[in-house]
Amino acid sequence: MSSSNDPTDDQTGRFVPQPNGRPRPLSPHLQVWRFHATMAGSILNRAAAGALSFGAIFIVAWLGAAAFGPDAYASYVAVMGSPLGLLVWFGLTLAAAYHLTAGIRHLVWDAGAGLTPKSATTLTWISIVAALIIALAFWAFLFATGRVSL
Amino acid sequence: MSRVAKAYRKGVKVSERHGAGEWTAERLSSLILVPLSLWGLWSAATVSGGGYDGAFAWFASPLNSGLLIVTLLISLWHMNLGLKVIVDDYLHKPATRTTVLGLIALICIVLAAASVFFIVRLALGSAPLPAGFGA
Repeated sequence: MSSSNDPTDDQTGRFVPQPNGRPRPLSPHLQVWRFHATMAGSILNRAAAGALSFGAIFIVAWLGAAAFGPDAYASYVAVMGSPLGLLVWFGLTLAAAYHLTAGIRHLVWDAGAGLTPKSATTLTWISIVAALIIALAFWAFLFATGRVSL
Repeated sequence: MSRVAKAYRKGVKVSERHGAGEWTAERLSSLILVPLSLWGLWSAATVSGGGYDGAFAWFASPLNSGLLIVTLLISLWHMNLGLKVIVDDYLHKPATRTTVLGLIALICIVLAAASVFFIVRLALGSAPLPAGFGA
């Protein structure tokens, strides 16, 4: 990783001509990173964002099912309340919780705070653990109050 | 938004493109979504297991319907901005990028329009669809 940022002796293939005609370096791709909490936290955050984008379709489908009346709603609940459906929703809850906590972490960084390697790592672990707690508490509540069952 | 109005402002080069505005918009939308997503999680827990009648009663509250419209519209705006960053990172051919970005924007707009349409009907207690559309 001792490449210079001079596009004329680019050995990395990271420089891509932009629409304004100038070569600009790209951020490194997934495979060039050595494992670290912040790297994993960042990749997981983007994965969560992708999952939530699909989740948006399920939520709009829920609105549509409600708007189409009791029969459509019952069909929706039958599919989404099945074990596989609940697993998908658990994944979406985890993605939502992590995108929330990692997003707050990112806002802290954007404000210029928590940027030393040590505090960046700490913030990342906090965001991962907090997301797990939120998602597990959410589903513990749903099962404990009988709102969902297997 | 004129691009070449000022090359420098207070000695700092002004961006030739509009990435900085989108960067700020992504942060602004995420800041607004922090409380809204917590409300969304709480609402999801409330509505779960309530069946059609429970959902119908939930949407009858203008506060619930209104907040849900705001939450979904800002979420879809944030989603469009975020997916654009991913596309900018991984798709380099301008034609491909333009096509994919257009497709993503279209999907976001369709989801937003459908959400508002469904929620407004539910909030008003309208008869189940397709009532009003030939049935």
